[in-house]
Amino acid sequence: MRRFGEVTALAGIDLAVRPGEMLTLLGPSGSGKTTLLKVIAGFEIPDEGEVYLGSRNVTLAPPAKRDIGMVFQNYALFPHMTVAENVAFPLQMRKVPRAECERRVREALQLVDLPAHGDRLPRQLSGGQQQRVALARAVVFGPSLLLLDEPFGALDRKLREQMQLEVRRLQRRLGLTAVFVTHDQEEALVLSDRIAVMDAGRIAQLGTPQEIYRLPANRFVAGFIGESNLFRAKVVAADSAEIEGGTRVRLPAGAPGAGADIGLLLRPERATQLSAGEVADFTIACKVSEIVYLGETIKYRLQADGGLDVIVRWPFRGSGATLAVGDRVTVGWDRDDMHWIHWS
Amino acid sequence: MTGIPDSPGTASARAPAGRRGWWRRHREGAASLANAAPAMLFLFVLYLLPMIMLLAQSVEGGTLVHYQKALTDGLYVQVLVDTLLIAAYVSLACLLLAYPVAYFLSIAPGWWATVGIIFVLLPFWTSILVRTYGWMVLLGRNGIINRALLDSGLIGAPLPLLNNTAGVLIGMTHVLLPYMIFPLYAVMKRMDRGLLAAAEGMGASGWQVFRRIYFPLTLPGVLAGVTLVYVLSIGFFITPALLGGGKVTMVAVLIEQQIRTFLNWGFAAALSAVLLTATLLVYLVLRRALRSNMQWN
Repeated sequence: MRRFGEVTALAGIDLAVRPGEMLTLLGPSGSGKTTLLKVIAGFEIPDEGEVYLGSRNVTLAPPAKRDIGMVFQNYALFPHMTVAENVAFPLQMRKVPRAECERRVREALQLVDLPAHGDRLPRQLSGGQQQRVALARAVVFGPSLLLLDEPFGALDRKLREQMQLEVRRLQRRLGLTAVFVTHDQEEALVLSDRIAVMDAGRIAQLGTPQEIYRLPANRFVAGFIGESNLFRAKVVAADSAEIEGGTRVRLPAGAPGAGADIGLLLRPERATQLSAGEVADFTIACKVSEIVYLGETIKYRLQADGGLDVIVRWPFRGSGATLAVGDRVTVGWDRDDMHWIHWS
Repeated sequence: MTGIPDSPGTASARAPAGRRGWWRRHREGAASLANAAPAMLFLFVLYLLPMIMLLAQSVEGGTLVHYQKALTDGLYVQVLVDTLLIAAYVSLACLLLAYPVAYFLSIAPGWWATVGIIFVLLPFWTSILVRTYGWMVLLGRNGIINRALLDSGLIGAPLPLLNNTAGVLIGMTHVLLPYMIFPLYAVMKRMDRGLLAAAEGMGASGWQVFRRIYFPLTLPGVLAGVTLVYVLSIGFFITPALLGGGKVTMVAVLIEQQIRTFLNWGFAAALSAVLLTATLLVYLVLRRALRSNMQWN
């Protein structure tokens, strides 16, 4: 178990990474996620608080003494060394005997699917291959923790998705405990066992990708992860609230009592188009004001008659009739399609 | 349409493809040749032509006797060997002194780096003659250095620092130091410090980071600086002439002697040719080392 005590450079971070899990630090730039990673790696020393690696307090240990494997943003491959020499480097620093060193380098390169590239120089490799070498180098010495600092930023989309899955497979196969830093929420959702969403040096929410997406804890997380409709509302009775503009909605279970200032979150895919006669907990008549084609889905911006702006996203089926700007539709959703959060 | 002469469609429509095609392919080459002509003429008249004339003098009368003398007479061979050795010592001394200086310049925060670079450049802008006489004042038997050492009781008799090889080495190292500092500074400034952090994160100690990562990555600068200093040292004249006091003979000093004292132009020309060849050889060897050692660069 790893525990990160209070760090004033960040602000009251208390985070425990579980053995064998992939934990993602997700946040916009300046949220402190990279600083936290540096504190873990030992490149920065926290003003306050402690860092434990297993049962060992490593708060003041230099990076070289931490036994942490790291994949850097630009890979940081040594340009004057061959691929094999790069991967062998951490082993040599640990005085691993030559024969064993060679064997482990071979295995590591096999692991990242580059068995025949040992003699090449980094600049002779493609971006994806360099990434794999960096990964091999980070895991070759069997580190107790693997850190990944925005490793996919330089890759094009298709390669990025492929590498994400590969990294995930490798991490699971080796049973590695990993901390992964990214600002890309999609990447975080794909890769993580748990996500720590960071905002202004604090952890805004810690949870599984599902929890983070479906049950965001506050406005920051709701706005940062995925697209959403967030309606400000005031609770007026035990189970109903009034959205700005006077529309009344029934509240999902567990909502606070009357008078509370809340936000109601509705994911665009949870609203459905209702044909005549269909009913839902909440129904509004709208006019289509904007259409965005996204390939497998279409996003509509709807203007409700009460003045409410609602974004919905529905799968695009070749046969189904699509809407045009100006069309009138009725949309509805059940109260449990919504998730409530405190507004403040 | 005619406003776009480069458009392939219009060109082939208006003229026979053959000649126009050739002109189009070669127009750029011809234009850059025309642009380079003044510079090439300048180099030819002021540099290549005198050199050819010099070489012609060395074989005047159709004889290689001057070369034979330069390359077989023990005295002159010794001068050549001394010259190459002194150049090597100077290069080494410059490297050892310049490396830490360049390192501190490369990591110093803005204002300090600027001040440091000015201090490196300052002697660079001063006449080499002035600097050499300055060293004479410092290094002489009654010079400032010996005075200070004698007065402090550190030595009993003055150190021989002038009119010998030591004096020449000190003076030349001082004059040539900036030529070593700047190539080193350039590669150090460009150094990706993330690589050093990465090496450290992988368990390397400070010394290992230097030996395995930092130093190899500065090798291009090391070899550029060494080449520059070595090549300049081989042909050095003023400093060895003044600080050597006639006791340290380098090839350039020898050449001057042959012309001024003995009016032996043919032999001086042959020595020049040997010096030039030696310089080129050293340059080629160093460049080869640079290539094979730094394929990654």
